Amino acid sequence: MIRIDNLGKRFGELEVLKGVSTTISKGEVISIIGPSGCGKSTLLRCLNLLEQPTSGRIFVDDVELTQSSDVPALRQRMNMVFQNFNLFAHFTVLENLTLGPIKLLKKSPAEAEERAMTLLHMVGLADRADHLPHELSGGQKQRVAIARCLAMDPEVMLLDEPTSALDPTMVSEVLAVIRNLAKRGLTMLIVTHEMDFARDVSSRVFYMDEGRIYEEGPPAQIFDHPQRDKTRAFIHRIRTFQAVIDSPNVDIFALHADIGRFCDKHLLPPKAKHNAELLVEELIQILMPDLEAGKTLGLTIDYSESKRQLILSLELPPGVGNPLVAEDEFAELGLRLINNLADSTGCETLDSGALRIEILIKQA
Amino acid sequence: MEITVELRADTKIVRPVGRLDFESSKVFQTRVLDELSGGTGVFVVDAAELSYVSSAGLRAFLVAAREAGRAGGSFSVCGLQPLVAEVFELSGFKQIIPVHDDLEAALKHG
Repeated sequence: MIRIDNLGKRFGELEVLKGVSTTISKGEVISIIGPSGCGKSTLLRCLNLLEQPTSGRIFVDDVELTQSSDVPALRQRMNMVFQNFNLFAHFTVLENLTLGPIKLLKKSPAEAEERAMTLLHMVGLADRADHLPHELSGGQKQRVAIARCLAMDPEVMLLDEPTSALDPTMVSEVLAVIRNLAKRGLTMLIVTHEMDFARDVSSRVFYMDEGRIYEEGPPAQIFDHPQRDKTRAFIHRIRTFQAVIDSPNVDIFALHADIGRFCDKHLLPPKAKHNAELLVEELIQILMPDLEAGKTLGLTIDYSESKRQLILSLELPPGVGNPLVAEDEFAELGLRLINNLADSTGCETLDSGALRIEILIKQA
Repeated sequence: MEITVELRADTKIVRPVGRLDFESSKVFQTRVLDELSGGTGVFVVDAAELSYVSSAGLRAFLVAAREAGRAGGSFSVCGLQPLVAEVFELSGFKQIIPVHDDLEAALKHG
């Protein structure tokens, strides 16, 4: 259905896309993931000709878009949903949905309104038809933006980080609408940072890096068995928080803030975040004499989306004893908290002689 | 860490705001001991705006409670947020330091 052939895009000196090639079949749901600035959004914008590609060609059903002069017709076929909704602020929800179909598709107002109401029902907002955008929550605005996109009867829907401007509490309502569209067989390309969602909804995942589709494959390959180095590193990084603690003057406030951000990113409950922060602080306190003696601790917190497990591990250099069996009076209080905040604890000696502590953090 | 102190008759009410980790606990302990040294009959820590307490924070509470006891006064804590209340519970501190639901209850019990 869509064929992209060696697509390039340059902004002055900066080469953002360096030869993207792929084909997409009808009904496919493609999630595009990758680090910031890797060209994910630029690729979508080039498909819609919001950005003019510098080189390469795009075909839809063998018609070359990059030669097309009828841009509105193209945008009707491949319509886009933006991060910041881009609703018309002075038009009601219903008018936002009917404007394009009446002006561009030459539908009658009655026909456009009937279709708009069907779509508003589908996204659960029929009762908001007469409201203005500013009267809606962020999640509701994005659901209206999705309905408006569908009102143009597109063959392909392009979604550019549709949930990244939303409060975390509103992400799920928007993802539910997109999931529903995927089930109906609409062809979609979605730039997203929601990895759990990308895994569930996609038929294929593009990992973009170095201005190209660096690795592509089914979600199980990209998320569980990435084949290439940068994909592996990216997937590891989004699931893992790492810190090196090498001084007794550790900035505990900053460390807690970093752990908090990691937990928020994975939408973990406040209890899980609190327990992770408290466990880290208690371990550091017990190991303070080792830090004062110049030892370095390697902290890792892993979140496994599939198992919904939050695991803290601490690597201790040779010569540092297991803090979970510390017997001094000072450690007693901290250990009591640690044991109550953990579902399980474990300890193993690595080949290097280092000790690795692993704690499964209670989340409820 | 922000700490405010209110004097009501012979009762001193201390309100810490924020988090009691091993850094801020030092500030909190110094301030509370300073307030206790003024010789107060009833001492209440209103923890309604305390969102986090580690074992270092608990130790600061313990030191303050002992100091108040030594001076013949009373010491209690009130208004614990759920996650902080759980730390008091898990550590066994609820058996060591009197904990009340809110300031009103703390003032009533003295």
